[in-house]
Amino acid sequence: MEVKVKLYTILKKYGEGKLDKDNNISIPEHLTLQDLISHLNIPERLGKVCLVNGYPRDIEYTLSEGDEVKILSLIGGG
Amino acid sequence: MDKPTYGYAGKQLRISLNNRKVTVENIDPKVLRRYLGGAGYGARILYDELKKGIDPLSKANKLIFATSPLSLNRIPGGGSVMVCFKSPLTNAWSESKCGTDFGPDLKRAGYDAVIIEDRSEKPVYIVINDEDIEIKPAEHLTGKSISEKIKMIRDELDDQKISVMCIGPAGEKLVKIAVAMSDQRAAGRCGVGAVMGSKNLIGIAVKGSKEVSVAQPEKLKEVIKKAMKVVRENEVAAGFKEHGTTGEMVPNDAAGDWPTKNWHSNHWGKAEKIYDEFYNNKLIKNHACYRGCPIACGRIAEVKEGKYKTPVHEGSEYESLSAFTAFVLNDNIEAAIHATYLCNEYGIDTISAGAIIAFAMECYEHGVIKKKDIGDLDLSWGNPDALPELVRLISMREGIGDILAEGVKIASEKLGKGSEEFAIQGKGLEAPAHDARSGKALAVAYGTANRGMCHIHPLEGMAYDSGKLDFGMVKYGLPDPNTVHRWDEKGKGKSVKILQDGLIIPDILSICKFFMYGGLNIDNYADMLSALTGWEIDGWELLKVGERVTNLQRLFNMREGFGRNDDLIPERVRKIPSFGIYKDEQRCAIKDYEGMLNEYYEARGWDLITGKPSKDKLRELGLEEG
Repeated sequence: MEVKVKLYTILKKYGEGKLDKDNNISIPEHLTLQDLISHLNIPERLGKVCLVNGYPRDIEYTLSEGDEVKILSLIGGG
Repeated sequence: MDKPTYGYAGKQLRISLNNRKVTVENIDPKVLRRYLGGAGYGARILYDELKKGIDPLSKANKLIFATSPLSLNRIPGGGSVMVCFKSPLTNAWSESKCGTDFGPDLKRAGYDAVIIEDRSEKPVYIVINDEDIEIKPAEHLTGKSISEKIKMIRDELDDQKISVMCIGPAGEKLVKIAVAMSDQRAAGRCGVGAVMGSKNLIGIAVKGSKEVSVAQPEKLKEVIKKAMKVVRENEVAAGFKEHGTTGEMVPNDAAGDWPTKNWHSNHWGKAEKIYDEFYNNKLIKNHACYRGCPIACGRIAEVKEGKYKTPVHEGSEYESLSAFTAFVLNDNIEAAIHATYLCNEYGIDTISAGAIIAFAMECYEHGVIKKKDIGDLDLSWGNPDALPELVRLISMREGIGDILAEGVKIASEKLGKGSEEFAIQGKGLEAPAHDARSGKALAVAYGTANRGMCHIHPLEGMAYDSGKLDFGMVKYGLPDPNTVHRWDEKGKGKSVKILQDGLIIPDILSICKFFMYGGLNIDNYADMLSALTGWEIDGWELLKVGERVTNLQRLFNMREGFGRNDDLIPERVRKIPSFGIYKDEQRCAIKDYEGMLNEYYEARGWDLITGKPSKDKLRELGLEEG
């Protein structure tokens, strides 16, 4: 199935070569957010928040065809 | 106890403004080892030298400008100075840190600290140039903006490189949120500018030619090299360089860490649009606040044309822009940039200013402030035109600005009519742009911070809870953040105690805390401090100093009458948001704040009812006599 993934700031580089020009990626069905994060090789130690179709979801959330996923790193500071 | 032959100048300047008496004093080495410098040394001096209950704007208050052995340009984060004083905004302990070369230049002049006492009859500024100390007339500088004052002082001294810290018109008018600024960096919070204004002290210029002697120069080179490598390879530090702190607007909005509409919500959903506009069209480049900073998180920005036209300037960091966007529901980035620029020129704190305007807008919505009281000003939520005008009114204490210049706590007491509920503050300090509903450690950190509801002195709780940064503290007993859920409440009180004792170290060493986000930890600082001073100091000793200073600042506040009730946080901050994507997320509401506070007090060895440090704890820290 295909989902759209948008990565921000220091996470952008993890999408290079994996997402197409429209930020889409093909993944197996029943993948969780955690699986997607691992698939993109985003380090576990980086604090992050995930929105699916605009809503915050825990990393155990199972993705569906056509979902729009935003993964953002959290740092603090400032 | 070793003598501080190395690392420290071993001297401080005491300047009494009433009789223009300048004294050079030796500093007791034993005090330095126990309090190190910055907010630690400042706490010791203010606790010993200020009497209980003094008016912070009277001549009885003192200002301490403090450095540490790490206040050197070549130390990662070494370019800062810490200003300590009793706050006119909170009547509590206060410290305010300012970047730039001012701190290292003070060190080069041969002083670890400057203590300013009493009050000058007429406006003056001080020039420190090694042993030459001059107190010069400053009547001609009054009424000028910050940048005008800095330029005039440098022109007068015929020295374009001398470090200058000064107040703007707001400090002269004793606005309680007035700042002191060095170039375009502020000692921003708690009203340091008003204290300077109350003393008729317009500014301080400093330069020096001395080198601090180092105990182990080769060792120092080695530990600095090691620390710089950590920072250069760190992804977070790279993020700060590319996006500054401002880049945090987008993730924080998503994480429910973006207080919106005076804390009615922790999320707005407009950060991405606002930040993209800033990054693509307003940002010019990044900027280092002191010579040698490898992170350079500063933002140089400009609004080229239109009614919010703003010259090229440094500013536009996360807190400032959040305060003038999400706090007040304004999505016009040009107005936000312009308003923060004006804050820096009039000399008021951007965080408190945005928070006060949000408070005023809520008062207006509920008829507490009426249109007839404010001329033609429309204080509807999100009105961009209201922002620059309110900044001016507050800074000049004109019209409604005179009440608002007192801060939201006092303003709400004066305005009444239920407006106390709109005053989002802790110990009198306006809350900043991080939301405890994004992670519960921040709630305890907000409530217990000695300078009031502050996100970074000493601890940003959400950097642990949701940023998953452990700051190298796991070996000192901190639970690994990756094993902790951000919305858990149990355990957070204990974790905040450990984190505060570690994260106060950059405040005590008067250095930039962002380097701890960029991979450094207290072991790095212990190594640098040991090489500089020749002391054998380790992370455990630093943690003990952190705990000692936290308790001494606490004793300062308790002497002023503060107690457990002052460690509470506003009801609204604990409640589930009234709109936004977290409005149905029950887990984000703070359910048992008192329970978290009890756990924190227990970890600290403080009485659960009064919040007072126990005798055993004070004995352990060597604070039996206060």
